Amino acid sequence: MFDFFKKKQPKANGSIIGAPIEGEAVPSSEISDPTFGEEMLGKGMAIKPTVGKVYAPVDGTVAMVFDTKHAITITSNEGAEILIHVGLDTVSLKGEPFTAHVAADQKVKKGDLLLEFDMDAIRAAGLDTISPVIICNSDDYKEVKRFTGKQVKPGDDIMELEK
Amino acid sequence: MTEFKYVITDELGIHARPAGMLVKEAKKFASTIKLATAAKTVDAKGIMGVMSLGAKKGDEVTVKADGADEADAAAALEAFFKANL
Repeated sequence: MFDFFKKKQPKANGSIIGAPIEGEAVPSSEISDPTFGEEMLGKGMAIKPTVGKVYAPVDGTVAMVFDTKHAITITSNEGAEILIHVGLDTVSLKGEPFTAHVAADQKVKKGDLLLEFDMDAIRAAGLDTISPVIICNSDDYKEVKRFTGKQVKPGDDIMELEK
Repeated sequence: MTEFKYVITDELGIHARPAGMLVKEAKKFASTIKLATAAKTVDAKGIMGVMSLGAKKGDEVTVKADGADEADAAAALEAFFKANL
């Protein structure tokens, strides 16, 4: 029953995004890469991972998994377009430290395992593991609330979108 | 309608960063801009769509602009592709 009190109840026209990765939830301004730091791909935030696993942040459909498996996009059942980008510049690793457990067009439930990544291998390559979580269609929402500055477990509330 | 074709030469193709830059460029124009590979056509002004093309090195992309500023849009995007992809 405690779970009931822990979760925010979204407003009728809102939707909640859960943490896809365990770690520290931080604002986009802490991302050194301007593509994400300046929110060029949409409004969002980031997770500094403590565990190398990515879970579905919502019920929805996998839109695409990059061939290099370093990023995944999901469309929520409510229409939010979510990009989870594991680490910065990790496209250059060509898939090596990543394992994908889902494919494009697959339906997923919040909490399903999507990707695994080897944090040590990413760091060994000299790259940052900070992982942006972006709402690509944030322009469609009146407000994107972000809950940062805390440790999160997969599924904990990290954003609330309001139409 | 104004269109051009471009073969991707960048090793990493259209991943997140170039997709973001491309969309930003496309949004400067009022014209409808479509991006197509052999497999799929998407709106060049939508991040998710552009990323979902999964365009890689060697893929041919067709860009079609339709609207009042289509000539400028096509010219700007062609320059963008040449400079970045």
